[in-house]
Amino acid sequence: MKNDRSFTEELSSRQVLEIDACTQCGECLKHCPVQDVTGNSAVSPPEKIRMFREFIRATDGLKARLFGPAEVDRKLLEDFTKAVYECTTCGACGQNCPVGIFTQRLWPMLRKEMVKRGLGPLGVQAELPNAIRHSGNPYDKPAADRYTPWFPEQVKLVERSAIAYYAGCTGAYEAPPMVRGDVLVLNAIGEPFTMLPPEEEVCCGFPLFITGQHDLLKELVTRLVEGYTARGVKMLVCSCPCCVNIMSRDWPLFYGAVLPFKIRHITQYVSEAITQGRLRVNKELHESVIYHDPCYLSRGVGVIEEPRSVLKSIPGVTLLEFERHGLNSRCCGSGGAARKVFHENAIKMGRQTIDEAVAKKADRLILSCPACYAKVNEAMQGYEKQIRITDIMELMSGLI
Amino acid sequence: MEKLLIVAVYAVYAAFWLRFLGHALVWWKATQRFSEPVAPRVRAKACALTATDVVFFNKLFWVNPGLWFGEWLFHATLTLVFLRHLRLVLDPVPACVWWVQTPGLIAGYLLPVSLGYILIIRLLTNQEKYVAPGNVFLLGLVLVISCVGLLMQALFKPDIVGVKLFILGFTGFSPAAVPDSFLFVLHFSLVLVLVPFLPTHIFTAPLVMMEARKREQALRLVIHEE
Repeated sequence: MKNDRSFTEELSSRQVLEIDACTQCGECLKHCPVQDVTGNSAVSPPEKIRMFREFIRATDGLKARLFGPAEVDRKLLEDFTKAVYECTTCGACGQNCPVGIFTQRLWPMLRKEMVKRGLGPLGVQAELPNAIRHSGNPYDKPAADRYTPWFPEQVKLVERSAIAYYAGCTGAYEAPPMVRGDVLVLNAIGEPFTMLPPEEEVCCGFPLFITGQHDLLKELVTRLVEGYTARGVKMLVCSCPCCVNIMSRDWPLFYGAVLPFKIRHITQYVSEAITQGRLRVNKELHESVIYHDPCYLSRGVGVIEEPRSVLKSIPGVTLLEFERHGLNSRCCGSGGAARKVFHENAIKMGRQTIDEAVAKKADRLILSCPACYAKVNEAMQGYEKQIRITDIMELMSGLI
Repeated sequence: MEKLLIVAVYAVYAAFWLRFLGHALVWWKATQRFSEPVAPRVRAKACALTATDVVFFNKLFWVNPGLWFGEWLFHATLTLVFLRHLRLVLDPVPACVWWVQTPGLIAGYLLPVSLGYILIIRLLTNQEKYVAPGNVFLLGLVLVISCVGLLMQALFKPDIVGVKLFILGFTGFSPAAVPDSFLFVLHFSLVLVLVPFLPTHIFTAPLVMMEARKREQALRLVIHEE
């Protein structure tokens, strides 16, 4: 394949340096969830970087500059594409990289390059833009069903408020107990909050961003930001780590300005409400619970203490920890939109989470991400080990 | 043979700079594009932490203390050995180069030990899941170079004046006679083989380490109040 287009086109200056800075030491493999379940070092972080270096050399190396771009083996490009899409983009490799390469951001940008070359995305991921254009969500489900099946009747929204809640597509369509819990807890705090109408609460853009399909992002982000601004919103609360991540890190870029409101994960808002006495936990729960840190919440935006603070506020609860937690948490298998294409990997990773929670003798596995919630529940179907899985706000809504 | 070595020296010298120029062009081109949306302020703490990361390989220590020991010893001893060799390249020799002669000599003995240790961990234990063939080749090559250097230091000393004249000759583009020492010719030739394979992470890794520390400092500011 002849390459007139540079392979560094979609990368920031830092990312170009990062590709050069990898020492190929392989320490990251010990933390890679895909390695844990496949054992295939051909799809490992250093191999991806080694392959991409070859691509860069073909289009940007001195020889390419003097004599024109070289051909890149089609098979190598396809192998790379598969490897970069099999990754869950959890970022554990970067967290444990001796050099400090920010892989949670690097892999999505390498995917974007493959999309531009017509090699990515893979399988059903390619249907995302059309689904979102058609129905506003990546699942291509009717907007009319976005809130209705789970929205609690007793909760009344206001038209305008300084606080808004964004349910998110995965929460609304794949993890309804979670978003129902969110709304019940927000209602219990007592501050009026608003939501966009279901047909206006479109995808936050994360599935497109993470699969490297950026064309629709500006339109989606502008639509959402203007929608919330029109309602006088000063703080947008959301429980989905992926949504929170793209909102805080990338929305300003696609919107073209600083957002007119703050972004907060729901555990931040609820933890503060508990501390300030605006929310009280009335019931006791005499259980050992284990909390799983979602990758895009802990490594992504640094929300680690707040979920624990919320759980510790429940009288009677014993909080257990996974061996790998906080910044070093292990992916549950649902990250990076890989779960839709590499389903078996995702199920195996989900079962590793279940295995450890059961081994730690936890009564309940607490999650705070709709994708984790949907995938770990799916992983438990037909599995010999069973544990009760509950979203953090689903749990809280039953105790206030 | 003599002429061949002189031609090889200049060819490797040119190849090294061409390669560096090629990389520099990629880096320069990238800086002309765009920056990431998150641009955390450079803080004194991040700079200080980066300095310790570069000198002590802090992050590697936390992820693999066993390998860290070997890698740190390897990089530290290689640096000292390199500094010790400057006495053969510079004329007059600065005082600071004289100061590192004894530490450099000790480092020369420790260098092959550290390389052997790293290769054992990488190849003979089950500790590592991934071994890059390029890295093994480089480590093996440096191991052979350092062993030959030690042999010259301990047993078969070449004419050091002749060595210096030879090196000053080609650095001043006025080639002098190659010293009459097989081990020196071997040592020198292997260094010429090594140069084109020198990893460019020695230039870029410190910058990436700095970015990582800045990002670490800024993580709590992404959606938290300062």
